[in-house]
Amino acid sequence: MVTVTININGENRTATVPPETTLLRALRDNFNLPGSKLGCDVGDCGACTVIVDGKPINSCLMLAAQADGRKVLTIEGLASMNGVHPLQRAFEDCASLQCGFCGPGVIMSAKALIDENPDPTIPQIRDALGGNLCRCTGYVKMIEAIQIAARVMRGETAEVNR
Amino acid sequence: MDKKPTVAEKTVVQEPSILHESVIAPLVSYPIEVVVPKARQQTPAVGQRATRLDGRLHGLGQTGYIDDITFPGMLYAKIKRAGVASARIRSIDTSEAEAMPGVMAVVTGKDVPCNSFGPSLKDQPVLAYERVFHAGDGVAAVAAVTEQIAAEALEKIKIDYEVLTPVLDPLESLKLETPGVHAPSANIYQSKVIKKGDIEKGFAASDHIVEGTFRTQMVEHVPLEPHATIAMWDANGRVTIHSTLGRITLGRADVARTLAIPISRIRIVATIVGGNFGGKNEITTEPVLALLSKKSGRPVKSVFTRPDEFIASTTRHPLIMDYKTGVTKDGRIQARKIRLILDGGAYCSWSETTLGKACILSAGPYNIDNLYAEAHVVYTNKTMTGAMRGFGAPQVCFAYESHMDDIAHLLKMDPLDIRLINAFNEGSLSPTGQTLQSVVVKESLLRAAERFGWHSNGKGSTNGGTNGGAKLLEKENVNGNTVRV
Amino acid sequence: MRAFDLYVAKDSRDAVMLLAKHSATSKVKVIAGGTDLLADLKFSAHSPNVVVDISRADELKSITVTDGGLRIGALVTHSQIMKSPVIQQMFPALVDAAHTIGAVQTRNLGTLGGNLVTAVPSMDSGPTLMALEAIASIQGPGGRREVPLTDFFLGPRKTILKADEILAEIIIPKQNLGKPTHFLKFGLRKGQALALVNVGASFWVDAKKNTFVAPRIGLGAVAPKVIHAPQAEAYLEGREITPEAMAEAGRIAATDAKPISDFRASAGYRKNLVAVLTKRALEGAYALAQAKR
Repeated sequence: MVTVTININGENRTATVPPETTLLRALRDNFNLPGSKLGCDVGDCGACTVIVDGKPINSCLMLAAQADGRKVLTIEGLASMNGVHPLQRAFEDCASLQCGFCGPGVIMSAKALIDENPDPTIPQIRDALGGNLCRCTGYVKMIEAIQIAARVMRGETAEVNR
Repeated sequence: MDKKPTVAEKTVVQEPSILHESVIAPLVSYPIEVVVPKARQQTPAVGQRATRLDGRLHGLGQTGYIDDITFPGMLYAKIKRAGVASARIRSIDTSEAEAMPGVMAVVTGKDVPCNSFGPSLKDQPVLAYERVFHAGDGVAAVAAVTEQIAAEALEKIKIDYEVLTPVLDPLESLKLETPGVHAPSANIYQSKVIKKGDIEKGFAASDHIVEGTFRTQMVEHVPLEPHATIAMWDANGRVTIHSTLGRITLGRADVARTLAIPISRIRIVATIVGGNFGGKNEITTEPVLALLSKKSGRPVKSVFTRPDEFIASTTRHPLIMDYKTGVTKDGRIQARKIRLILDGGAYCSWSETTLGKACILSAGPYNIDNLYAEAHVVYTNKTMTGAMRGFGAPQVCFAYESHMDDIAHLLKMDPLDIRLINAFNEGSLSPTGQTLQSVVVKESLLRAAERFGWHSNGKGSTNGGTNGGAKLLEKENVNGNTVRV
Repeated sequence: MRAFDLYVAKDSRDAVMLLAKHSATSKVKVIAGGTDLLADLKFSAHSPNVVVDISRADELKSITVTDGGLRIGALVTHSQIMKSPVIQQMFPALVDAAHTIGAVQTRNLGTLGGNLVTAVPSMDSGPTLMALEAIASIQGPGGRREVPLTDFFLGPRKTILKADEILAEIIIPKQNLGKPTHFLKFGLRKGQALALVNVGASFWVDAKKNTFVAPRIGLGAVAPKVIHAPQAEAYLEGREITPEAMAEAGRIAATDAKPISDFRASAGYRKNLVAVLTKRALEGAYALAQAKR
């Protein structure tokens, strides 16, 4: 067993897990954060995307032990009692998600993109979502929502609705 | 429905979180107040922005899918897949798996009270018994205290197979001398024929006969959320099943049949589904989980791995489609003969629906007075094919539209024109004699042609369309291509 | 995933010591980015008993230009390569190659060293580095040794690394710094696709005679390992740079390639791809050479 302490959504949390435990399993089973989803378990679908030290990664392809001492942001850390993140609001308003299973991963990828590039072009958004599979939507509404959220976050508009 | 969710009238507070410093939270209520629409409230749908009621929870990652649900004392189940396409099972030895610490229950085909189910033909076993019909067949299942132990226990189950020659090619399967996949039943298990007019007369009146064979491949739905089930058998002999199943009424009947208990003792809870697309329309492991729960006395959960999803859930039917069409030199279709062979895989599933829809739609949206269409679905030792978006329509659409292009090419006609000449009108009869209403095929084609500049390369040119298409593709490349090939 | 013991190496020396200690008695695997290893172990019954995590060996995470050439640490991620100003300026082909690997998430995890050590013939890092005559710097218990990348690969998923060795750095020799290079990949999709064929081509231009100097062509997914196209290289050496010469080099490279047929593509199709991609990669490198002048 290995004991890991991970800063998850701003809070230091510790768990003792078998060494082969992935970060995804630890988040879901040990830290009770089921927002990150298990879709393929091999890094293709992106449903498990979380942000580690500022970078989006597949949490199914990182051992929990490898996240020891690092900063992890999950979908649960995006909203607070004060409100939801502009991306979450924009995704809701644009009806960007249908079944919703890919949503947490897509939003985390988008969050990492906007953090790095506050004014992404459509090709840049597509590239950033290249590791997130969605079978329902065709991505169009997601790209729209990401553009709107980016505008809100740049302070150009307070209104998420078009 | 209200246009917007309630807006909280309070001062904006700077996010205290260190994680997204610069962002000011937008004004929305939180926790969530979901706006419930008045029953049957009519809202103008077309042209309106459609916000989903479940959208906010989805975005917050708070939607509870089945894998996010746990129960106290819950066990994890894994299914052992056959891995061989066709075999006789000589013996199954589960003793070593059962002896493993942490393993709470093991079931095999012999434990299933009634080992057959299916939406139409009841030809699918819950777990393989004596025979394996495709590589994804479950042969044994284990429930253990952790998923890891269950997976390791699967490796300790010893199965002695007499491997048989599988039938893999649907055209081979058609032949009378090919052994039946489910002998003594024949491999053709459903057929449909549509006749209209006299095709021989039609072909005789034609200037050209065009033939073509089109094939489509097997397609998996790949729902982002894999199939999953939680079963809980209670002390009163009732079973509660949480499942990703889309059609719970049908599933309940199948569970009752396979477990041989009254339907009144079965409660199925449909959890929020992470993508269905037709792939979650029938039960998969529900009876197995119920039996494991009965044996262990504890709730049991199983989630398909992605490989399970590909080999053990239904897929789209591959089709082999033979087309023969007689046309006059000015492009009028005189007769069409079609043969569709559907690869049904190991079990029937929704083949009946798929076969029917494929056959009815196989002639395309064209007025054809002389038509003969036949469709047959055959068993092969492959992953079973079932319901998927369109039930056979996309496959035949690929064939008849490709065939129309071939005809246009032969006649040196604009591919748009040949469609306009033959397309359905208001009041046209479908191949099965239905009078069609609100027909806008031609209007749609013309509008679409105008929108993407079909005629920009010169009307009537045989490759006018190809050029128009290439233009669209180029734009696509500029937008999204990352590889400069 | 089967159970294993995990040892976290503090640095590359510690890693080598851990490997030496455990490889005598156990089946050991090294984890860095984990994108290949964990995906493999999830559905495999053949698991290691011991995994050594080298992802915290920070000295293997830098990109530096030294007297010996450009040194890229084995733990440099594909994203890091894409964002490195040095690499962007010297070898845009390496940026292109890194960009075609997986997706953002896997590029943030996956390392250059991992891509090479996994030794899958379709690896996207291989052809460009091959065309740049890169050198593998290997760390063992006795210190470092250097071998040309051509000798590093033995076959599918096989390298010359001994049980107690790790790949530490990849060195692009000094004489090749800034050598015009171009990378092309052909996959079945734009995103997250394995290469049917990938090609890296590089050469210097003799400005007076307008001829190929030291042309090098690396081919992926067309042999049990990433290979050079020796006949095509020999054909181009000293030849005048013309579209015809590039096309002919492509045709010759197709005979250098020894592809197999599999469910992704037939051998014949792959050979055709080699011809076309080699020609285009040469054109790309030439365009870069002219832009630099």
